Amino acid sequence: MVLPSVGLVATGGFKVETKVRVTGLRKRYGTNEALRGVDFSLQAGEIFGLLGPNGAGKTTTLECLLGLREPDAGTVEICGLDARRFPSDVKRKIGVALQSTALQDKITPREALDLFSAFYLEREPTLRLLERFDLVAKADAAFETLSGGQRQRLALALAFVHRPEVVILDEPSTGLDPQARHELHAEIRRMKRDGYTVLLSTHQLDEAEALCDRVAIIDQGRIVATGTPHELVSTAASGHVVRFSASRPIDPAALKRIPGLQRLRCDGLSVYFETEEAATVVTSLMGLLAADGAVLRELDVKRCSLEDVFLKLTRPENNSVSLPA
Amino acid sequence: MNGLLEHLSQSLRLHFRNRMGLLYGYLFPLIFLVAFWVLYRHEKIPLIRHMGELLTVSVLGGACFGLPTTLVSERERGVWRRYRLTPLPTWAFVVSTAVSRYVIILSAAALQLGLAFSLGMPLPAHPLALWCALTMVSFAFIGLGLVLAMLADNVPAVQALGQCIFLPMLIIGGVAVQLASLPSWAQHVSAFFPGRYAVEALQACVSGGGLASIDFCLLALGLIGVSGCSAGAKLFRWDAAQRFAASTGKLWLVPVLGAWFAVGLIAELRDKIAVSIDGVTVAAPVAAIPAPVPLPPWAKITAKDVAALDFRVPSDGGVVSPFAGPEEEASDYTKDEVEAVRQGLLTWRPGLEGDDVQRVRNLVCVAAVPDSIQQPVERYLPPVVLSYLQEIYPKDKLIKILTWIVLHPEDGSVIDSIADLGVQGTAGDPAIVRERSYLYALKFIMRLTGRIDG
Repeated sequence: MVLPSVGLVATGGFKVETKVRVTGLRKRYGTNEALRGVDFSLQAGEIFGLLGPNGAGKTTTLECLLGLREPDAGTVEICGLDARRFPSDVKRKIGVALQSTALQDKITPREALDLFSAFYLEREPTLRLLERFDLVAKADAAFETLSGGQRQRLALALAFVHRPEVVILDEPSTGLDPQARHELHAEIRRMKRDGYTVLLSTHQLDEAEALCDRVAIIDQGRIVATGTPHELVSTAASGHVVRFSASRPIDPAALKRIPGLQRLRCDGLSVYFETEEAATVVTSLMGLLAADGAVLRELDVKRCSLEDVFLKLTRPENNSVSLPA
Repeated sequence: MNGLLEHLSQSLRLHFRNRMGLLYGYLFPLIFLVAFWVLYRHEKIPLIRHMGELLTVSVLGGACFGLPTTLVSERERGVWRRYRLTPLPTWAFVVSTAVSRYVIILSAAALQLGLAFSLGMPLPAHPLALWCALTMVSFAFIGLGLVLAMLADNVPAVQALGQCIFLPMLIIGGVAVQLASLPSWAQHVSAFFPGRYAVEALQACVSGGGLASIDFCLLALGLIGVSGCSAGAKLFRWDAAQRFAASTGKLWLVPVLGAWFAVGLIAELRDKIAVSIDGVTVAAPVAAIPAPVPLPPWAKITAKDVAALDFRVPSDGGVVSPFAGPEEEASDYTKDEVEAVRQGLLTWRPGLEGDDVQRVRNLVCVAAVPDSIQQPVERYLPPVVLSYLQEIYPKDKLIKILTWIVLHPEDGSVIDSIADLGVQGTAGDPAIVRERSYLYALKFIMRLTGRIDG
C-alpha cells in the first residue's frame, strides 16, 4: 500500500519511507528513444544499484533525476518533492558525485568544500569532511596535484557538504586503482551505516553485488529486472555455471541429452551450460566423455552470479544455445 | 547571497593563481602601453590623448577573451555541470562571473593608469567619471563576452569568435585606428560597433568634457550591455555536451545584434557620426555625396604673408613679453608653478575645445596673462606654451594659425585668468592680454621660422 502524502510504503507491519520514486520516465533524442518508461523506487536507508550496459539509458535516467535533462514524460519524486516542479528544493535534498568531477586546476579541497557548502543553508563543517574523507593532508593542495583516488574522495565529500538525504553516485569507481576502489567501497558501506539512501549507477557488477541492497537492470531504455542481487540470481539464472574443455570436440546432440542441462553453448573445444543439479550433471558429463574417448582438460563449476544474470538479461542471444556448424 | 559572494571571491582567487590569466589580463595591457609610449615618445604625443584607446583594448581583451575563455574551459572540464547540481540559481552564477570579471578589468585598468602616471601622464580630468565610463564599457563588453561564451563550443572557438569581434573593432571600429584617419564608410560602420563608444566615453573622461559630453555613448554602451547580459543568461550552457547548434533559445541572439544595429541607426539619425580630433568635432564626410570641405581662412596664409609680418618686438629680457632662453631654468620659487602649467595644459579645456584658431589663441593667453599682470613666472611660461603647441600641431599649420592671430588680433576671445592652471591673478584689461598675445604670437613665429633660435 502506498501512502502518497508522505511517500510511505507499508511492509509487513512497519512503514518504510520512499526516498526516490521514478515513474514512466521517457526521453527521446531525435529518433532514438533513450528511455521507454523507466520505473523504480528507493526506500530510505538502502543502497540501490542501477546497472546497465553502455547506451542502456543509465546516464539519461540519472540526468533526468538530477535535473540536468528534461524528460519527455514521467515523474521523478525525491523526498516527496516533484523534481520537475521544485528543482531547487530537490537539490538541497540530494548529494551528487558525478563520474568525472573535475574542478579548476588551482582550487584546493578546502576551498572547494567551502565554496560548495556556501551554496546551501545547512552545512557540514569543512574540517569534519576533510577528516571523514581522509583529505586533511591534502586540504591545501591544488586539485591538479591530487591522485585519482583523492579526487574521487573529494567528489564524495562535495556530495556531503549539506547533509543530504539521498546520495547519488554516478559510476564512482571508474578509473580508480584497486586500493582506491577498496576505500570507496568502504566509504559507501559507511554511508549505509550512517543511514543515507544511496543510488549507485555502475557497470561493475561485482561492485553492485557487494554493495547494493537492491538493483535494477536497465537495458534499451527499460528496467528489465529489479530486486536484491540474490533474488535476481535465483530467479533469472540457474544455480550453477559449468565451463569445460575436452581433448576433442564433443557432439552437442549428445550433450543435450544430459538431463538438467540448460543454456548450452559450444565453441570449438569449450562448452558452457547452466544447471541446478551440478553434481549429477557433471557425473553424467564424465561418463559421456569416457564413452566418447575424450579426456577432460579443464573444468570450472561455480554458482551463478549477478554478472551471469546481467549478461542473460542484456544480451538475449546468451539465452539460446549456439551450436557449431 | 552567501553562495554568490563565495563564488565571486573564489573566482578572483583562482584568477590570481592563473599565470596565463595574469599574463593576458595584466601584463599585456602594460606591455601595450609601454610599447606605445616608447614608439611615440619622440613624437611627443602624450599618452593622455590615447588612454581611451589603450583602456578600451584592455577591457575588450579581458571581457571578450578572458571571460569566455575561463567560462568555456571550466564548462569543458565539467565544473559548471557540477555547479548546476547545486540549488544556486543561474542568474547568481552569471552575476558572480560578470562581477568578478569587472573587478579584474578594473584592477587591470588601474594598473595601466598607474604605469601611465609613472611615465608622466597627468591625472585624468574627471577621475570619478572615468570610473563610471569604465563601468559602462565593462558592462557592455562583459555582456558580449557572455554571449561569446555561450556561442563557442570549445576554447579554440572562443579565440576564433573573439577575433571576429576584436579585429574589426580594432581596425574600423575606432579602437586602435583613430576614426579621423578612416574613410567615410568606416566612420559610418564604426557607429554600429561598441568599441567606438567605449573609446569616446573613456577619452572624454580622461582629457575631455566628462560624462556630460558622452550621454549618447553611455546610452549606446548601456543598451549593448543589457542585451548582451540578458542573452548571455538566457543562452547559458552548463554542459560541454550541449552544443550551441542544438541548443534552444538561439533567437536571443537577435536582441544582441539588434542592440548594435539600433545604436548605429540612432547615431546615423541623430547625426552622431561626427568624430572628434583632439577635441575638435569634425563631421564625417558623407560617403554618398562627398561635400567639399571649405578651407578655414587661416589655411590660405602663405609664406609670403608670414615674411611680410612686422617682427619688431620687445627684447626677450625686457619687461614686456619676456621669454626665457633655452638654457634658462626657472628659479626654485617658480619651477613648481611652471611644471604645474606644463602638466595642466594636457587637459586644459580651453586648449582642447573650439576651432584651431581659438584654441591657439587661448594657449597663447597662457603666456600673455602672467605677463600682463607681471607674475614672477611670466618669462618661463612662453617656452612651455610653444613646446606644447609644437606637440599638438604640425609646424606649418601652427605658423599659419599664429600668423592669422597676428593679423587679426581683435578676433575671437581672450582669457583673463589662468588660475585653473595654478597661476593666480586676473588681467583687468582684455586689451592688454590681446596686445601681449599679439607679441607672443610673433615671438613664437620667429622661433618657428628660425628668425630666433630656441
